[in-house]
Amino acid sequence: MISYKILKKVSKPGRYIGGEYGQILKDKKDIKARWAFCFPDTYEIGMSNLGMRILYGSLNSYPDIWCERCYTPWEDMQKEMKENNIPLYALESGDPLDNFDFVAFTLQYELCYTNVLTMLDLAGIPLMSADRDESCPIIIGGGPCAYNAEPVADFFDVFSIGEGEEALPEVTRLYIEMKDAGTYTREAFLHEAAKLEGFYVPSLYTVTYNEDGSISEYTPKYDDIPTKIKKRIIEDMDKAFFPEKVVMPYIETVHDRIMLEVCRGCYRGCRFCQAGNLFRPVRRKSVEVLNQQAKTLYENCGYDEMSLTSLSISDYPYLEELCDTLLCWTEDKKVSMSLPSLRIDSFSKELMDRISSVRSSGLTFAPEAGTRRLRDVINKGVCEEDLMNAATIAFGGGKSLVKLYFMLGLPTETNEDLEGIATMAEHVLDAYYQNPDRKKGSKPPQVTISVASFIPKPFTAFQWEPQADLETLLEKQQYLGSCITNRKIKYNWHEAKVSRLEAVFARGDRRLSKAILEAHKQGMMFDSWDEYFNYEKWMEVFASVDIDPSFYANRRFGDDEVLPWDIIDIGVTKSFLLREKKAAYEERPTPNCVEKCSGCGANKLGGENSCCPKI
Amino acid sequence: MLSQNITQQVLHPNSHEDMCEQTSRNIVLPKPVRIKFEKMNVLKFISHLDVTRTMKTALTRAGIPVWYTEGFNPHPKMIFSLPLSIGTESVCEYLDIKITEPMSHEEIKTRLGAALTSDMAVTEVYSPKMKFQDIAYALYEVTPYEPYDLSVLDAEKVMVKKHSKKGEIEIDLKERIKSIEIKDGKIMIFGRADQLNYLNPEQVMALTGCTDHRIIRKEIYNERMQIFR
Repeated sequence: MISYKILKKVSKPGRYIGGEYGQILKDKKDIKARWAFCFPDTYEIGMSNLGMRILYGSLNSYPDIWCERCYTPWEDMQKEMKENNIPLYALESGDPLDNFDFVAFTLQYELCYTNVLTMLDLAGIPLMSADRDESCPIIIGGGPCAYNAEPVADFFDVFSIGEGEEALPEVTRLYIEMKDAGTYTREAFLHEAAKLEGFYVPSLYTVTYNEDGSISEYTPKYDDIPTKIKKRIIEDMDKAFFPEKVVMPYIETVHDRIMLEVCRGCYRGCRFCQAGNLFRPVRRKSVEVLNQQAKTLYENCGYDEMSLTSLSISDYPYLEELCDTLLCWTEDKKVSMSLPSLRIDSFSKELMDRISSVRSSGLTFAPEAGTRRLRDVINKGVCEEDLMNAATIAFGGGKSLVKLYFMLGLPTETNEDLEGIATMAEHVLDAYYQNPDRKKGSKPPQVTISVASFIPKPFTAFQWEPQADLETLLEKQQYLGSCITNRKIKYNWHEAKVSRLEAVFARGDRRLSKAILEAHKQGMMFDSWDEYFNYEKWMEVFASVDIDPSFYANRRFGDDEVLPWDIIDIGVTKSFLLREKKAAYEERPTPNCVEKCSGCGANKLGGENSCCPKI
Repeated sequence: MLSQNITQQVLHPNSHEDMCEQTSRNIVLPKPVRIKFEKMNVLKFISHLDVTRTMKTALTRAGIPVWYTEGFNPHPKMIFSLPLSIGTESVCEYLDIKITEPMSHEEIKTRLGAALTSDMAVTEVYSPKMKFQDIAYALYEVTPYEPYDLSVLDAEKVMVKKHSKKGEIEIDLKERIKSIEIKDGKIMIFGRADQLNYLNPEQVMALTGCTDHRIIRKEIYNERMQIFR
């Protein structure tokens, strides 16, 4: 374990000590494969990630597999580690990462890519997959960014595409069997892994490019590996692996609460939303199973807050029943409930009354666009009446803060749409003063508008769309600011430069690896942190490796173009996305999956308790 | 007013153990329980606030019927003795709670112990005998890992700077040291430990030129040098 003398010198040493209640320790002599599960950001962020909790539990449920945790050390700790020749270690055993069989990275957002290299570097593991020899661990990636992991493809040996709770134990089993049979070599293993459903080995596919820089084709190096990698899903969420125990951090993390996963996927079909397509088909857990899991988690964690998680919780058809069932015991135990991701059009007084025990004084909604026209373009099928309705209910229930999320720079957007955002906020304020039930004498109302820049994401109807250039985005931000005159309306916006870099990586291809490598060499890390993000430096990095970021962020991709992520099959088809893009430009909404199946293609993956028609 | 009555009653030293008290009106009053625990090894790097949070969830995991404060934002009533500074370990940390249903001290000890890691072992559970305000002295055992020189402490006054709410102030460390002796290669520091005059042993060691060391708080005492109970 790391020496106390070093820990004493660094900020927040609690990040590096491990030893938490609930961590899983195993006897190495029983173990045939060891995983170091890395979250490429700080301990506080990584420990709050539900996916990592599930996969940690799932892998550790096998007696011969031991999965440990690892996070990116803060820069002061990195310095100490380098000066004292301490390689990056996993928290449970304290063993260096290069002792492990698998080193896994969950890729939750594009701006963590430099941290992956930071961690490999600290572990003394060669950064490029091609440079690794038989003594190196298998470097595996997963998570939402793995659906287009091309920008980091050169650093990874294999990617797990889709939900991992069954897939990861499966690939580990293959590894153990090959080791036991004496047939294991890196090359042989990766070849076999590429044949498993949901595993993408980038080195086994050659990419060629056209003269204009677009991709010509992906060619598999072997005949027996798939030309398209199909994502894995858990068909029946009620039977999916559920982590009964949670590692309880000593230090404060981002989400110190019970996270109860209610469903996966969302049936709404917003045209900018990547998660909405990636996690199709929608699969739900039953109320009984959820209640049982909530109780188990409460008894094993002891948290006094529970968050019901889902992409769109108010679309869960049995939400009222679930809340009532949970409230039967949570009130008594003084556990408060929170519901993120509320939709305006399915928000009701009944629902708010059920969660009124929550101490928060505000509610958040995401209309995403300021006019009905633009909301039809993006297929966010909510109308202003829905919002007024929701605001009235919220204010009547004693809330005084309403937060509204919008997107700026959406396809077809005009100034009128931006003005609509300001008008909407005004109307919400009016709703407060017109509400006879509002709590008088309490805090004055406040409406916060939070605006993010549109990022074209793979596997969405807008995946071909250019992102507005930086100047335009900044102008739009300013224009919106000038439309807001009421002091009770607060206006926040995301840094447009960050969104631009995200757009580059989101739609990037393999050639971006050299930019990320160069950025790492220049010491760049923690790009998602304001204190580290350096747009100008990134632009220099792109220039130094002859990459034009506009090619990825601001170019309109052709409908027939081979996209870097075409090699992945998420169920939802490209032809459906093209139909959706056409509908967007015709300002024509598409009904949601419950109203009518639009034939997106995700139902071919199966899935229990979903709204999809069975094949 | 009611809560004040409860406090007075429950602090009464002769209260019958293991049973919730009953008033003439038959209201079950929460019964005070003192939990002695350790904070060892890596846990010296977690803050007092972290300990509070950990204990709060552990009490729930253990199913201890903790008394909650009444009011707008109910939370389990927990009072800790003498917060430990980061970097120092301890075998004598104390937490006072109140329980609302009968549960034996032994059971509390077993259940809470199972809900915590061994670095935070629960060593004793009993009815409080003294008040936290009675704490006057603490004994620390320092294992030095590099040379030190105690002679700096021979001076009449040893003034050091200290951060306080009023900004930086100068204090005389000598006033806060009761005794220092060397035993089996370890430095035993006996110092003031009341809220106004708290001796930080780390500060003493820094003066002696030794910053690589292990410090364990071994025992705390009242003004009459009786071991705190």
